[in-house]
Amino acid sequence: MLSIRNASVVFDAADGSRVNALENVSFDIPPKSIVVALGASGCGKSTLLNAIAGFLPLTSGEILLDGRPVEGPGGDRGVVFQKDTLLPWATVLDNVALGLRYRGVPRAERRDHARELLALVGLQDFATKPPYELSGGMRQRVGIARALATDPKILLMDEPFGALDSLTRETMQQLLVDVWSRTGKQVFFITHSIEEALTLGTEILVMSPRPGRVIARYKADFVRDFAAAGDIGGVLNDPAFGQLRAEIRALIHHPTQTRTAA
Amino acid sequence: MSALSEQEPLSAAALRVSRRWTDGKTGGTALISAATLLAILLLWVATTHWHWTSPLFLPSPSEVATQAVATALDGYANGTLLDHLLASLGRIGLALTIGIVLGVPVGLLMGLNRVARGVLSVPIDIYWGLPPLAYLPLLIIWLGIGESSKILLLSLSAFAPICFAAQAGVRSVPQERINAALSLGADTRQIFFTIILPSALPEILTGLRIAIGATLSTLVAAELIAAQSGLGYMIMSAANFLATDVVFLGLIVIAVIAFGFTVLMRFLERRLVPWKGKL
Ligand SMILES: Nc1ncnc2c1ncn2[C@@H]1O[C@H](COP(=O)(O)OP(=O)(O)OP(=O)(O)O)[C@@H](O)[C@H]1O
Ligand SMILES: [Mg+2]
Repeated sequence: MLSIRNASVVFDAADGSRVNALENVSFDIPPKSIVVALGASGCGKSTLLNAIAGFLPLTSGEILLDGRPVEGPGGDRGVVFQKDTLLPWATVLDNVALGLRYRGVPRAERRDHARELLALVGLQDFATKPPYELSGGMRQRVGIARALATDPKILLMDEPFGALDSLTRETMQQLLVDVWSRTGKQVFFITHSIEEALTLGTEILVMSPRPGRVIARYKADFVRDFAAAGDIGGVLNDPAFGQLRAEIRALIHHPTQTRTAA
Repeated sequence: MSALSEQEPLSAAALRVSRRWTDGKTGGTALISAATLLAILLLWVATTHWHWTSPLFLPSPSEVATQAVATALDGYANGTLLDHLLASLGRIGLALTIGIVLGVPVGLLMGLNRVARGVLSVPIDIYWGLPPLAYLPLLIIWLGIGESSKILLLSLSAFAPICFAAQAGVRSVPQERINAALSLGADTRQIFFTIILPSALPEILTGLRIAIGATLSTLVAAELIAAQSGLGYMIMSAANFLATDVVFLGLIVIAVIAFGFTVLMRFLERRLVPWKGKL
């Protein structure tokens, strides 16, 4: 169980001003849940993820992992970054195997495992290429395979499918849902797509910028239908899905009008 | 040399920028350069053939060639051309080795540790700001006229740029890259060897390039003043007897050495950091 309690982050910008990137955010990421943070660009989603990952200290508040405060990054929380962080001097395969290498898994074994994961994200043919010869979307998929390789309890994903075309995106969503329903991982997932949030989230946090706050939260169940059906089509035609989508859209576009209503 | 110290960070950056802007349009320069070289040679031939200047100022290519053979076989100023060449190359090689062996770890340490950076940057900045030939007399007083004072002088010229580059290399490692490794479970030692060191390698090689240039120019200057062997010594001895052809021979050999180092560094960069500037 991961708990975020009254988390606030204030940045001192270079020009001397202060940015309230995150203000008093509280929520839990219970086992077997996918918590989605949804919001427009600049509303503090990455800041929140970086704090959970342990890259960024909170200005106030706390983050507890199974009751113990998070003090820094660790292999228990796998991260898929918004920006490409692959190592340019290593092949795609060795990038995927990196976490296993850190754990001392023997070379042949970790390569076999990395090869399986590459096949899972559809990049088995690119194993020996350097990452800079891949497209942005392909690199993003390598990043996903890399995070899955060490089988972390918690997956933190920062707009992982943002750079993908809609077809590949659906395949990747399917993959994530498969992994999730098979392993029951806790997932924290960032997106700015309402549809993606509803498709994947068991809980959806809607955020608003400056200060970055959670302005509404929704429970959703569409991801279980998605996992059961093995296909996204049914979910998208669900009237409840359309209704919730419209509600969240209204909230995001007219936050002050709907906040009182919601 | 002090001018070089000011240009050092700039030229390293300029090198990188210019590469980014010119990549993909570099196809034809080898041919153009060869043509320019040929034109200079022809101008040289013409100037001496039609006696536009006195041979004392500008010997003809054939005179230089004859002198090259004579110097190679019979020697000039206590040694054959090969003796002088090896003496100079040996000094450069030893100085660069010392510069790398000390400069890389010290630079990495300075990049990683604030205290080390604060303490060590003071003496390094001070001596790197001085023209090497200005403190050569001091080194000679301390260590004598022999090899050790020259090796120390050259090692100092090689050390600083390599050290600065390693330091800059460490400090240019993207934080996200380190974060990614940490969240994959890397410990401090693994972060150093799998992330920081390879990330700093392109900068270190750029520093080595600058060190080679600094060492080469310091070497010849040092040999002009205080040496019994080496290309600088050969040139200086020849100049005392107005043997312009030997002076030219020395210069040409030094130019070839410099060119050889450039080719070597290009090769090293292509082999070691083919990913430089990518991603
Ligand atoms: N290091 C920093 N220094 C100062 N301000 C920062 C820093 N990092 C982020 N910010 C500010 O904090 C706010 C939130 O940034 P954050 O990166 O969390 O946004 P985001 O929701 O992830 O946006 P996007 O969808 O575009 O990725 C922004 O206004 C940004 O300008
Ligand atoms: Mg972001």
